Amino acid sequence: MRSTLKLALKVLLRRKFFTFVSLFAVAFTLLVLLVSAAMLDHIFGPQGPEDRPDRTLVVLKAEIAGEQSRRNGWAGYGLLARTLPEMPGVERSTIFAVVRKLTTYHEGRKITCFTRRTDGEFWNVFRFQFLEGAPYGQDAETQALPVAVVSESTRDRFFGPGRAVGKTLELDGRRLRVVGVVRNVPSIRFLTFADVWLPTSLSRSDAYKKDLVGDFAGAMLLAAGANADDVSAEFARRVANVPINDDRFKTLSAHASTLFGAVASFFVFEGLEGKPPAVILGVLWLMAILFMALPALNLINLNLSRILERASEIGVRKSFGATSGALVRQFLVENIVLAGLGGALASVLTAIVLAALNRSGLIPHASFALNFRVLGWGVLLTLVFGIVSGVLPAWRMSRLHPVGALQGRFE
Amino acid sequence: MIRLEDVSKVYRTDRIETTALDGISVAIDRGAFVSVMGPSGCGKSTLLNVMGLLDAPSGGTVSLDGAPIRGYRDREVASLRNAKVGFVFQSFHLIADLTVSDNVEIPLLYRRMAGAERRKRVATALERVGLTSRRDHFPTQLSGGQQQRVAIARAIVGNPQLLLADEPTGNLDSQMGDEIMAVLHELNEQGTTIVMVTHDPRLAESTHRTIRLFDGRQVQ
Repeated sequence: MRSTLKLALKVLLRRKFFTFVSLFAVAFTLLVLLVSAAMLDHIFGPQGPEDRPDRTLVVLKAEIAGEQSRRNGWAGYGLLARTLPEMPGVERSTIFAVVRKLTTYHEGRKITCFTRRTDGEFWNVFRFQFLEGAPYGQDAETQALPVAVVSESTRDRFFGPGRAVGKTLELDGRRLRVVGVVRNVPSIRFLTFADVWLPTSLSRSDAYKKDLVGDFAGAMLLAAGANADDVSAEFARRVANVPINDDRFKTLSAHASTLFGAVASFFVFEGLEGKPPAVILGVLWLMAILFMALPALNLINLNLSRILERASEIGVRKSFGATSGALVRQFLVENIVLAGLGGALASVLTAIVLAALNRSGLIPHASFALNFRVLGWGVLLTLVFGIVSGVLPAWRMSRLHPVGALQGRFE
Repeated sequence: MIRLEDVSKVYRTDRIETTALDGISVAIDRGAFVSVMGPSGCGKSTLLNVMGLLDAPSGGTVSLDGAPIRGYRDREVASLRNAKVGFVFQSFHLIADLTVSDNVEIPLLYRRMAGAERRKRVATALERVGLTSRRDHFPTQLSGGQQQRVAIARAIVGNPQLLLADEPTGNLDSQMGDEIMAVLHELNEQGTTIVMVTHDPRLAESTHRTIRLFDGRQVQ
């Protein structure tokens, strides 16, 4: 293997133009895939407040439908309040609203911020990093206490640097007392992202409590050892028993699934809601492979055209005892080494692109990073690329007849 | 060492059937130095390829060390070639990407052999052809004669019993050709069996025996 690797490197170094063209194609492809993987990891990976995705089931979407009418969108508070409490296999559950953009004035300055209404359990299901103070509890929700938790950037905008706990800010016509300050949450963590969090019960009206479709979402933290499928099934049973109380609608549907499955079906794959995450992951893999197909075909083509150039070598190796298998191994290793170099280059470029993305502020509070998970995906994608683009040329080369190869004939 | 009995080789395409070898029966004893002569296209190289197990005959039997080579799989034939046969080609067929040492090492890569042992054998083979000082050069940095000596070192590095040389001096001037012939004669004196295709009667005369072919048939 050592000599095969050595030869692979020598071949690549001596064929500089081929190596440059191939490396460019491989590195650019892997760069795009790695940046995508880093973004997906930032959305779905165990980071920030959502650090237990494997134990969290979420309910995002709901739909009520009848013969004439159909309403769908985020889940309603009424639906979640009837289905989530005391769910077997669930340690804690929370109901929280989608973010709402509000504009307020503070000491004569106009400040726009995203607010999110939550219950007290929200702070137990999701784990925020508190810089000062503490979250509000369930009592704040039941008693409609005028309190708020703010992000560090919001603290700075309202109060400037320094402690903010105990200070007040005015939002939506209410004066709220700051009880805690948390580290910023990236905006693409859309379950938990906000600038200001406040109790749901501070709403001006109670009408939201009846809604089956509305502007809320639910999350359940599974108990240790609980089976997610059982919990999903129980949730579906509960949904089936929720009264609709509206003659226009006959059916109600909502699904509890992993964050990844729920988000993917909510935003990207409309028809896949309720399907296992494996299906969605499969679709993502298919997209990645299709994206890799073009440069892989290009590399296959380049490699095939090099058979002519390497015919003599193949003939010599076969003459001196190389089996077809040994040659397939050699050419595959060469291709994997090339893909590996492309992968390493892509990793460096990805780190640069991600740092630039973070600095640009395009996605507020985002901190994309090349962590071990993303690098792991990179290695896997690199291997897939190297093998896929190398197998056919390697097989074709290994099948050459030694005499024909030595004479430059290919039949 | 090697025996061919009624060997024929026919190449078929959609329209044409070409008989390259027709009823060849030859026995080459261990330690012999045999030359093969004949006009272009008479089947000399085909005969060498069949002897070296690079090409399978269409008919007849090839036996190596008394064992008929019949129904062998790719892996088995490759293993036999590696262990028993060395090749020297007219156009050298050195791999331009590799140094002299790496080129010579090729046959040993397909054996179970430690790196230190491989390096030792490569050094010995290069010493035998007088190219120790050129071990780190690339083929393009060498003269034609030196390149052919590298090719000979590659052919003998695995200590094969049979060396098949296809016009080894064909691309060289007479002085370099003589040098190569001197190396081949020395190897033969040390016990290597050699079969060499040549167009040069002078070189053929220096071998123990000459096989003459004409239109795929053995005429002498």
